[in-house]
Amino acid sequence: MSGEDRPGLYVESTIIMTTVRVVAPFVLTFALFVMFHGANSPGGGFQGGVIAGSVIMMLAFAYGIDSTREWVDVRVVATLASGGVLLFAAIGLGTILLGGNFLEYHLYERFISHATAYGIELVELGIGGIVASVVIGLFFLLAAGYGHAVDTPEAEE
Amino acid sequence: MIDHLPVLLVVLPILGGAVPLVVSLLHERAGWAVATLTVAGQVALAGLLAWTVETSGTVSYEVGGFAAPYGIELVVDGLSAAVALLVAVVALGVLAYARHAGPRSNSFYSLYLLLVAGLTGMSVTGDVFNLYVFLEITGLAAYGLVASGDEAKSAVAALKYLIIGTVGASLYLLGVGYLLAATGTLNMADLAGKLGSMAAYDSTLVLTAFGLMVGGLTVKVALFPLHTWQPDAYANAPDTVSAFISALVSTVSAYALARLLFSVFTVEFLSAVPIARWALLGLACVSVVTGSALAVSQSSVQRMLAYSSVSQFGLVVAGFTVGTPMAVVGASVHLLGHAVMKGGLFAATGVIERKTGATTLNGYAGMGSRVPVTAGAFSVLALAMVGVPPAIGFVGKWFIVFGAVKAEIWPVVVVLLASTLLTLAYFARLVERLYFAEATIHADEQADATADVPADATVADGSGRAVSTGMVAVVVAAAVLAVALTAAVPAFEQVLNETLPQLLTQ
Repeated sequence: MSGEDRPGLYVESTIIMTTVRVVAPFVLTFALFVMFHGANSPGGGFQGGVIAGSVIMMLAFAYGIDSTREWVDVRVVATLASGGVLLFAAIGLGTILLGGNFLEYHLYERFISHATAYGIELVELGIGGIVASVVIGLFFLLAAGYGHAVDTPEAEE
Repeated sequence: MIDHLPVLLVVLPILGGAVPLVVSLLHERAGWAVATLTVAGQVALAGLLAWTVETSGTVSYEVGGFAAPYGIELVVDGLSAAVALLVAVVALGVLAYARHAGPRSNSFYSLYLLLVAGLTGMSVTGDVFNLYVFLEITGLAAYGLVASGDEAKSAVAALKYLIIGTVGASLYLLGVGYLLAATGTLNMADLAGKLGSMAAYDSTLVLTAFGLMVGGLTVKVALFPLHTWQPDAYANAPDTVSAFISALVSTVSAYALARLLFSVFTVEFLSAVPIARWALLGLACVSVVTGSALAVSQSSVQRMLAYSSVSQFGLVVAGFTVGTPMAVVGASVHLLGHAVMKGGLFAATGVIERKTGATTLNGYAGMGSRVPVTAGAFSVLALAMVGVPPAIGFVGKWFIVFGAVKAEIWPVVVVLLASTLLTLAYFARLVERLYFAEATIHADEQADATADVPADATVADGSGRAVSTGMVAVVVAAAVLAVALTAAVPAFEQVLNETLPQLLTQ
């Protein structure tokens, strides 16, 4: 399906490329906005992560899937996924070390004010990283068609 | 440290599951080692937790320090501790099998650990919505694992499992929503107190919630009319995965169903609303009979074992629904025993297929002499499943039947006894083929399909189809456990009686 038996579907368009270049930073900012607002309003890591992942999808439409795949290193995606899990776990386990229960954010109060809010936001960021990397991984897997699917190391988490 | 065991038990496999993804950037084959280390730690933690529950009773944990009815609470009593320990031990055993049998990709072991986390979470949670979250984690990881086979069949089976499983989980979630509407709480202990006082047991809202939640979970348990995903998923997944999910996924879902019956709706609900009890009993009995009948009619051994699970889980659910202390103990024993036996049986079919190429009932003819150790263990497990004393299968069934007799629910007694005969019908046929029939597959004929392995050797020559000592050892260990666990039943019964008084006294 992918380029060998027929010409690729990608058409280079200045309009799309320019638009994406302008819009992408705003979409990424909006993704962070949604992630940070998970603590006390609608939003959170899941929604924000999907929005962040959609930036890569936009880039792929503008610049071609293959060049985007080369640009976004698989190591970055894997690190983002694992890093999100590790960040979440580290924040949770940190409170146990401080003598509280798992995820008892207010124990961080001795290091930083508003610790509960910052704690929740960091956890949301971690979740956002996991979700974004899974969305990106799924997108590349689907875009690769059936033949390439075997050698991409993303797991559906 | 001891106080935090319930949450550490869930966090450890999730942490372990994140590692193979990073390690895969450096090393191709590190997944197995990471998974083994993690699960070994998991066994130690689960053992420590079980020991704590045994000595000092129910353990509860408020995640995030939020007070119980509002925050998420983890509650571990005798039954949950036993299930969590079972999950850890079976996961370790299957890893010993997977070392040689594969799949070997790092992402496989990420999913594997994620499944362990989901199953453990389902066992220790004390919150109905949290249970849904872990149910979904378990489901998603299981779909991914079933699809990890190389053949197209695995992908189709996984898709079918995904669609049906998601419908089941959604039904459960809908039921949770109804319960929340009726009582305003999600905590299991709190729900048990508020149901019946805040919302009448026979109000439409509560009944609908019961129907949706139980219906959703019976999809996951795979009781008869809702079992259609299960034979495909078990038979078409790689044999490592078959052994793992056949032993644990339905087991933990059945545990969740029991938890729902006793810790949320309580035995009073079952006596106040006889129609709910009879509906569930009827479903369980139909499942017992039809599952056995379907198992008898299969020619593929793995599919036969899959349908046998449909029937055995009917038995377990019937035991829980009868609801007398004795039947509940019996159902718990059979739940745990079935996991060990069925996991061992699936692992044995994997070994026999690799060594001889036999997958069907006719193919098994005369294999007793070709694979003596595995066939011996297979027969022990099969007879244990039928319920031949002193195996664990006998104790579980005996307690369930005795409980049903005491409760004077005669139709159930009849079905239970008939089910033992039906189980005997399909397993005895298989054992008879193994030892007393003329071989249909000969060692020289199968050279094209499998590596030729001398009949009694357990060599690992790296051909990919060979069998390692670890794989055979897992099967033998399951067979030994299936008999030896009987000795642990009195202690288990005592722990259950101490930690579940509210459900076992009527």
